Amino acid sequence: MNKFKYIFSILSLGFVLHSCDTDGLELSNPSQLSPETYFENEVQVRSAVNAVYANLQTIGTYSRNYYFIMDNMAHENEGNPQLEANKRLFLDFSFDASSELVNQFWDSSYRGINKANFVINNEEKINEIPNSLLNQNLKNKYIGEAKFLRALYYFNLVTLYGGVPLITTVPESSEGFPRSTVEEVYTQIVSDLTDAANTLLPKATEEQGRATRGAAYALLGKVQLYRGNYTEALAAFDNIYDVYQLTDNYFDNFMEETEHNSETIFGVEFDDDMGNNAFWNSTVSGEGPNEASLRGQSYGFVDWFNCYPSDHLLDEFEPNDPRYKASFYEVGDTYAGGELTITEISLGRRAVWRKYQNYYKDANEDLQSGINFGIIRFADVLLMMAEAANEVVDQNTAIDYINEVRDRVDMPLLSYGLSKEEVFDAIVHERMVELAGEQVRFADLKRWGMAAEVLSQFGFRSGVHDLLPIPEAEINSNSALSQEDQNPGY
Amino acid sequence: MKHSNFKRFLFLLSLFSFGLAQAQGGITVSGTVQDASGPLPGVNVVLLDNSKGTSTDFDGNFTLAGVDPQATIVFSYVGFKTVEVPVNNRSTLNVTLELDSQSLEEIVVVGYGTQSRSEVTGAIATIDAAEIASIPVTTADQALQGRAPGVNIINSGAPGSSPVVRIRGLGTPNNNSPLYVIDGTISGGMGNLNPNDIESVQVLKDASTTAVYGSKGSNGVIIITTKKGKPSEKATLSFDSYSGVNFVDNRYDVLNSEQYKRYASEIGPTPERISNSAYASLSSHETDWQDEIFRTGFIQSYNLALSGGNENSNFRFSGGYLGQEGAMIETDYERFNFRANSQFTFGNLTIGESLGISFDKQNPERDSGGRSILEHAIKIAPYLPVYNSDNLGGFQGPSSSLDLQDAENPVRAQTLGELVNKSIDINGGIFATYELFDALTFKTQVGLDYSNGKNTSFIPSYSDDETSTNSTSFAQIIKNTSIYQSLTYTNSLTYKKTFGDYHNLELLALAEQQKIKFESVNARSTNDITDAVDQLSIDGVDLSSNSSEYLRIGYLGRVNYNFDRRYLFAASIRRDASSRFGANNRWGYFPSVSAGWNIGREAFMEGSSINNLKLRGSWGKTGNDNIGDYLYSSTLLTNFIYPIGGSAVQGTTANGLANPDLKWEETTMRNIGLDVGINDNQFTFTLEYYNNKSDDLLIDLPLPLSHGYNNPNLTSNVGSVKTKGFEFNFGYNDYQGDFTWSANLNISHSQNEVLTLNSSGESSPIYGGNFEGENLSAISVNEPLFYFYGYQFDGIYQNEAEVDAVLSANPNQDVVQPGDVRYKDLNGDGDITSADKTKIGNPYPDVVLGFNLSANYKNFDFNAFVTGSYGNDVYNTNIYDLQGMTRLFNSGVEVLDRWTGPGTSNTIPRALGATQNTSASDRFIEDGSYTRLKNLTIGYTFPMTFLNDAISKFRIYMSGQNLITITDYSGLDPEIGQIQINNQNTRNQFEIGIDRGNYPQPKSVVFGLQLEF
Repeated sequence: MNKFKYIFSILSLGFVLHSCDTDGLELSNPSQLSPETYFENEVQVRSAVNAVYANLQTIGTYSRNYYFIMDNMAHENEGNPQLEANKRLFLDFSFDASSELVNQFWDSSYRGINKANFVINNEEKINEIPNSLLNQNLKNKYIGEAKFLRALYYFNLVTLYGGVPLITTVPESSEGFPRSTVEEVYTQIVSDLTDAANTLLPKATEEQGRATRGAAYALLGKVQLYRGNYTEALAAFDNIYDVYQLTDNYFDNFMEETEHNSETIFGVEFDDDMGNNAFWNSTVSGEGPNEASLRGQSYGFVDWFNCYPSDHLLDEFEPNDPRYKASFYEVGDTYAGGELTITEISLGRRAVWRKYQNYYKDANEDLQSGINFGIIRFADVLLMMAEAANEVVDQNTAIDYINEVRDRVDMPLLSYGLSKEEVFDAIVHERMVELAGEQVRFADLKRWGMAAEVLSQFGFRSGVHDLLPIPEAEINSNSALSQEDQNPGY
Repeated sequence: MKHSNFKRFLFLLSLFSFGLAQAQGGITVSGTVQDASGPLPGVNVVLLDNSKGTSTDFDGNFTLAGVDPQATIVFSYVGFKTVEVPVNNRSTLNVTLELDSQSLEEIVVVGYGTQSRSEVTGAIATIDAAEIASIPVTTADQALQGRAPGVNIINSGAPGSSPVVRIRGLGTPNNNSPLYVIDGTISGGMGNLNPNDIESVQVLKDASTTAVYGSKGSNGVIIITTKKGKPSEKATLSFDSYSGVNFVDNRYDVLNSEQYKRYASEIGPTPERISNSAYASLSSHETDWQDEIFRTGFIQSYNLALSGGNENSNFRFSGGYLGQEGAMIETDYERFNFRANSQFTFGNLTIGESLGISFDKQNPERDSGGRSILEHAIKIAPYLPVYNSDNLGGFQGPSSSLDLQDAENPVRAQTLGELVNKSIDINGGIFATYELFDALTFKTQVGLDYSNGKNTSFIPSYSDDETSTNSTSFAQIIKNTSIYQSLTYTNSLTYKKTFGDYHNLELLALAEQQKIKFESVNARSTNDITDAVDQLSIDGVDLSSNSSEYLRIGYLGRVNYNFDRRYLFAASIRRDASSRFGANNRWGYFPSVSAGWNIGREAFMEGSSINNLKLRGSWGKTGNDNIGDYLYSSTLLTNFIYPIGGSAVQGTTANGLANPDLKWEETTMRNIGLDVGINDNQFTFTLEYYNNKSDDLLIDLPLPLSHGYNNPNLTSNVGSVKTKGFEFNFGYNDYQGDFTWSANLNISHSQNEVLTLNSSGESSPIYGGNFEGENLSAISVNEPLFYFYGYQFDGIYQNEAEVDAVLSANPNQDVVQPGDVRYKDLNGDGDITSADKTKIGNPYPDVVLGFNLSANYKNFDFNAFVTGSYGNDVYNTNIYDLQGMTRLFNSGVEVLDRWTGPGTSNTIPRALGATQNTSASDRFIEDGSYTRLKNLTIGYTFPMTFLNDAISKFRIYMSGQNLITITDYSGLDPEIGQIQINNQNTRNQFEIGIDRGNYPQPKSVVFGLQLEF
């Protein structure tokens, strides 16, 4: 009897120990894909490319911070009392390495670069997809899109922060990358854009919203111009001079219904019907549906009304320049499809922003805006061609390009025979009024050496505020960087 | 309670021991054994020569046949003095036993077993049913506050919210929450238990008690035992109910309409709403927005329980309802509880179950733009009305362009539409034990912890003004559901035997497996066609679902040995594997050893007034696997959306770097304890000292920002923290006479220090607690966890010369001007930069105490319970709102005394000053110490003569909670509980001590009655 009980208890001990199933410890996440099994068909490749675009819609970049940073620093804007403190810093140049927007723009841009690298790094795997499933041209095109976007992110970084860490692979350890020189970054940008120009599809055959061959040339030309390589700039622009055309109506570029037109080269797509649930959460990563921009709400005069156009900008417009009425509202103007009239402007401001606002059709902004955020359009290209031509071809060629832009809005044409300086001044003026509130002026002032002259009254110090500081969080987290690597003056 | 528990235990034992007693020659002796309160069941009735024995039945009766007429009968019952009675030819013996507190033995529940208190070698604190039920709380864990040394509970006022529970302070920058075990079932928490169903709560604090839980023991273990029927109990029906009110009666002192209008015009352009008479109807109100968001809420609770039992079975069934209207509008909590516990014995086999189901429904405080309702109530313009029927939705709020501010109408934010969190929770287990042969018992148990949650939200379209500052043109619908299911299988063999009278040995071998499955479906959409339908539509759809699994396997061996209950020894080892650990580190060992010396049982202590003196010590290693599932694997994310060609396309990218070496966090614990009892435990005293070191703590090592990964960190086992502290518990009991009273004071001290944060030694701080774009807290080496980090406030610059004196390296700057805040230039570089930030506070208290005073006079009973927390700092972000003046919002009355010229203020800066004025600094740090009268109760029990036969107990009482709080803290509540609003920018654990306008704890007054039939 006792023996039986011993046996029974040993059996139950065995049961105790055996009842556990150790195989089950090897679990994989059922909710998420694994990188090892990715890039096996076109949908996967395309999806990885799409993520690089989605990264443009972050609060840290184009859906919110970028226009505050650029418009405020250029003093195209002045701030109303309701302008938040972290954005006001860019009006008086009091930002530092720990400023939120300085950090978010950097962070978000590098997240775009990582997403682009995820595609470009897997080129070999993408090329292993049978051509019957995905032909070689399309493989190249997808990689070209990633390269175009990587170049765009680096271009934004190098113009704002100077020589930044140049990362062209998906990092595999926590080891940091040191700063590269401005030259090295530009070399990579030019190489990426050149590859992109060779592989991207022309606008006519590409889906609306994707980077095209024309976009690659336009950005390449812009990059060359910023570096003072005028001949190379013109060479790039020449590839697209015949592809794009100015719209008849200047304001077509800023209306949701007509924002894809003959003048459009590349922009950030927004479509508020596709959802904005992740809106506030998508500070830097672009996760979730956040398909609307906050610009309308932020600048809108019956909305948050954070900012208003500066006198300095308003005064630049020639009398009767129709672009004034297209860019700003004043008392007496009608809005909301002509149904409402502005009788008084809050705070007694002289004028308020109209460009990129929904007021042309709506009584208020309703938080989210579906108007795209233009990055480069043909009028910009024409004025850049004028600038390059003024340097390396001749003044009259430059004047022709300027006049194309003026002619569209029926402004008196410049006559031939102006001096190089006069043509340059005309370009400065024309860029300021044609591209008001389009985030090009601060970079223009810097590369023209005019920033101190125009902005020192607001706190700009030459040799310091030409560049934003490297974010403190980057210096702290990157073993290859120390405080010595910080930009001067921070 | 402990006492009757013990009676029951002994009674069961005695059934086994003497069930086979047989009758032989001699006389038959019978009689009744009782104590002061009535018949005693289960008393051992044995002949002095041990030849024969029995025990008393439920009515205290015994019968012993075949007794030698000259024999002596020994009546013994643990907890009572043993009595020897000569038979002297009598056939009836009625005996009264006297209490013997010296030998009164308390049974404590430990991991996978029970122990008598005198055999315990670890640190265990016990909270009994009376203490838990004495305060009307909505969740049971709230009732643990102040009851046990070493347990720090930080409550929140939000109805139905569980408090922050910390055992022995903080040991990790990650999850510091203890493990909950309910009737042997590993559970996610105890928030859904009915406090009235709890028999006792044991808090296991040191390694000798928690290492048996292996990779889950590091943060301490809370073992909850629910009430069961008593074997000796006639069926008893009890009914408990209370109802009352709760309210928040303190307020921040903000500007009234007239003051606000003047202030607004002084600091900037006069808002058009004020200057333009066309808006007079909207700008002429005097709204106290704080009064609008707070209310007096009704609370009520009803509990019904039926219990009973006999030798072979016992049962208890209970049902309860709790309803609380919170002190803030539209915050409510409602819960139905049902529980059935029963147990049946068939010979060597015992089968039982414990099963609780709860249905709860919560209307939480809503999250409006990541800000609390209170924050909006502080900031919104007081001249606006709450309601305006001309606006869509019926509310009035400010507009950026007219009012130059954009705070949300807090009443609209909290009441428009509906936000409901519902859940159905099942927690229970079925077990069987089989006594294989003498001393060897096999036990198997299956435990289930199940929760089905459903969160729904419907916010119709609204516009708080004719302009659109706070408006949406569509209804927003959210429907989220989740299912959590945890199944724990435990099989064990226990061998328990006494050898040679003195050698007491208990061995345990155990295998356990826990499987968790979690699934959720989250759906949200907008509806721009109608507000009439609160269902999902196809507009603005955002769908997601998620599922995860977890598996843990563990083996445990434990030996407990003592010699004559004088020299105690215990050791255990557990081997655990978890699917949360990387492939390279899947199995871990968690050992413990402990020893104790019952000096009070030594011969030399005989006759001393010290009836109990015990010294004990333990050492062991425990783990924390509460680190998140799949953390070691690399994954892709697919929720990047972009409009291409007019439709939304999906983007996919890599989430982050993987770490296949990932493993549990490990804590090495050392504990020394001393227990003293004097004068039959009239005075009791316990002292504990512990010294813990946690290693392999998971630290999110920040990857360089420029890596650009979606997950910007690489989680690695690199951190270490040491935590040490001591705990005192003093007790006094006077149980003699008409007036009896008892007092208990417990004091805990805990301090922690971060030793390392990465493998290389040199490391940058980790920041968290994001507020207005800045981090308020940090973790860094040689500092306590989550310390507050910022500048040191040094008054206000009165003139340009003072500015230049501090900012000497930057003389041409014109950002900082007279009237702005002066900070200390700690590094002396002539500029104020982030390098001048330093430690400005510690959110964890130095000392936590609980003091309980109970007294009875005849039929009256009285209880006062005080809790306190000392030495903790609070970062009060409300001061930012009250005194920040970053742009126009309503503010505290302090802004009327702001700096307006040299010499006007050295505490409040100028309005709309430099951005640096509101940087994280000790200007926002306050001492969060408080002493609080947590509970005050006066009760009256009707004497038996008043009651008819059916009613055995009838008590009425009145009690008040949080009636008095003594504190220097300027906010509404110095106890900063878990915030309900969702702040995406910070990790939860960093929230300790940050007051973001958290839901304050209300005062409450309730009347109750207790009936037993």
